[in-house]
Amino acid sequence: MTSQDHILVVDDDPDICTLVGDFLEKNGFKVSVAMDGKGLQDVLSNSTIDLIVLDLMLPDEDGLVLCRNLRSRSNIPVVILSAKGGEMDRIIGLEMGADDYLPKPFHPRELLARVKSVLRRSRAQPEDSLESEQNACYRFAGWTLDVPTRQLYSPSGDKIFLSGGEFSLIMVFLNHPNRVLPRDQLLTFAHGREIEPFDRTIDMQVSRLRRRLQDDPKSPSLIKTVRSVGYVFSARVERGDPIS
Amino acid sequence: MVEPDRISVVVDQDLESIMPGYMANRQNDLLQISKALQSGDFNSIQTIGHRMKGSGAGYGLVEVSDIGREMEVAAKVQNGDDIAKLAERLESYLQRIDIVYKEL
Repeated sequence: MTSQDHILVVDDDPDICTLVGDFLEKNGFKVSVAMDGKGLQDVLSNSTIDLIVLDLMLPDEDGLVLCRNLRSRSNIPVVILSAKGGEMDRIIGLEMGADDYLPKPFHPRELLARVKSVLRRSRAQPEDSLESEQNACYRFAGWTLDVPTRQLYSPSGDKIFLSGGEFSLIMVFLNHPNRVLPRDQLLTFAHGREIEPFDRTIDMQVSRLRRRLQDDPKSPSLIKTVRSVGYVFSARVERGDPIS
Repeated sequence: MVEPDRISVVVDQDLESIMPGYMANRQNDLLQISKALQSGDFNSIQTIGHRMKGSGAGYGLVEVSDIGREMEVAAKVQNGDDIAKLAERLESYLQRIDIVYKEL
């Protein structure tokens, strides 16, 4: 944590805002609070925010849509704090681009630890490297990924939609081609969190990404499975200037 | 020495300044639940239960989260009897609780 990291807490429950806001302030953070999606936009327009703690059930907007929109236009880390704590809820939250997901009820010290951890990891990547990565265009096996627009083009030129999670995952593969990536490392690189027992998030995302890339799951040529370890992205990757 | 009907709960001392407000809000919940029950406004009770479930354990009061969880379910199926019992359980808990603040 740097001095006075600024955290935005978005939750429609005043007791949660008080709990999280007070606890983070006691631990050295500057805190702003928003009770809905509009409030979030207002704070973002007027302040520099280092991390957002986001509830999903807001009165005016779906937190997942907010999360996806945030991720498409900024790098501000997002920690989802939600009463929706099921496995699928967490997977969807991470796929929408959240950096971590903590179900309610929660212990404020655990939230504090996760906030610090996400901030630490978000800063582990040098800004110039991040900058150049985000202004690049990757070409592999006839496919093209234009990073600024997050647009994937098939070899025949069709536009292919990628979810936030799939985009994060393909970026990891494109930056580490022809290298075996263990599942836990993929999860950390793509989502900034550690793998949990029986966690199938990465396997499900790889499966979806293979479908997007029209890669035969029975005999994949691009994303190959390394049994009991993880996956390897098997292609020559070229990085150039963005299309847009 | 804790009296037999008292409940002692250890709470993180970092929360000491905000606990009185939280406890007062739960007393207010009891009033709101009673009013909503009389008017058949189960949506409001569901929201109150949902929020208690999400916040209680964070404030160190697991029982509040448990009651909130059950309240939310009871409101969903519009079970007024269960809601009344849960409101009594919450009232009793709030009356008997003694909070001890400690560095955790």
